[in-house]
Amino acid sequence: MELVALLLILLIGLGAGLLIQWLPMRHQPMPTWPQRAPFLGGGTPDSHAWSRYHVRYYPMTLLLIAFEMEMMFMYPWAVVFVEKGMMAMMEMGMFLAILSVGIVYAWREGVFKWQ
Amino acid sequence: MIVDQLILPLLMVLVTLSVGAYIVAVLDRLMAGAFGAPRGGNVWLAPLTRGAWLLTQHANATEAPDWRAWRLAPALYLALAAIGLAVMPWSASLVATDLVTSVVLWGSVEALATVVIFLHGWSANALLTLIGGYRYVALGLSYILISMFVLIGVALPAESLQFTQVVASQEGLWNVLRQPLGLPLFLIVGLGMTFWGPLDLADSTDLAGGTASEVSGPPRLVWDIARAAMLVAFSGVATTAFLGGWLGPWLPGPLWVIVKMLAVLSVLLLLGRWLPRLAPERCVTLMWVVLLPLSFLALVWAGAVALWE
Repeated sequence: MELVALLLILLIGLGAGLLIQWLPMRHQPMPTWPQRAPFLGGGTPDSHAWSRYHVRYYPMTLLLIAFEMEMMFMYPWAVVFVEKGMMAMMEMGMFLAILSVGIVYAWREGVFKWQ
Repeated sequence: MIVDQLILPLLMVLVTLSVGAYIVAVLDRLMAGAFGAPRGGNVWLAPLTRGAWLLTQHANATEAPDWRAWRLAPALYLALAAIGLAVMPWSASLVATDLVTSVVLWGSVEALATVVIFLHGWSANALLTLIGGYRYVALGLSYILISMFVLIGVALPAESLQFTQVVASQEGLWNVLRQPLGLPLFLIVGLGMTFWGPLDLADSTDLAGGTASEVSGPPRLVWDIARAAMLVAFSGVATTAFLGGWLGPWLPGPLWVIVKMLAVLSVLLLLGRWLPRLAPERCVTLMWVVLLPLSFLALVWAGAVALWE
């Protein structure tokens, strides 16, 4: 029943968000084409929005994937942690230590620099 | 049964969401006044006036936006905030949806926020909004780990992923004292998640409004409400995870929750007015090299304390 309630809350939230936009705007005419040019802080739209953008933090996103996988182990680990005691602590400690070496290596390689 | 388990939770979330968003707008204007910035008229009426103005404003459009995604993004962000408010307990029995895995659900709300904000920036089909979106992805992927580690930290003593259990485990000592690194780190996450103040990289003024720079009228209203509501949801989760939720002497539980949420909100809004905006290229280094190791430390601390107790 909780999941049904949650789904209802999600749908009503989404519906409210869409309704607040749709109701006042359903009779609004489209703005003219000159007005629809990109705003760009007042500059002229010389470049297209889909022009190449160098995502310089890209290697960081790959590093994140390793940690996201680790989070999946961590949720069940958190529940049994106190029961398993020191063993759980050491296991996760080793795992985190290995991943931290990755961070140090990435740091040395300038992954977090973004320039 | 239907009324108890479906309608009441829904009403609870909707009321919290709308009242909370209004309170955020009022508090932020009060802070602005205290810092000497223009408040924009009467503090209590100005949010309503602005809301009514946006609702009746003629919305502009860009040349070829991704219409569906553009309209969906603000509504989705609002729905995510509603989910966050749904898992936050008001007392031991008064919870909209008392899921066994509510901590995991909140984690997924944080992760999906990144997707929704990027969608908002991408779908307008304009340069500044897109840059705002790309910047946000860098921030969002950096803060998510910090948030996860401190949240796992509060789940350790509770031996559960349920927020009501997390509060119950703080009966003796609140997590803010038991795990002193947790709340400061989590507040930084909150500023990132709502891209507020120092971490406002997505909708920043140097991008002329960032992902919202092309958005006007009713969609802008939904976006602004959703941001404020997300701040409220975040303060609710911070209250639950670190400030002992409904625990406290004299007052009834839900009142304590409200007092603590207002305190968290005030701190966040104060930080937002007080601190300068972080340079986006520095924020990735800061998050991964300084704050992430600190969150490891917070987790080890939490684990050691949980075992010692």
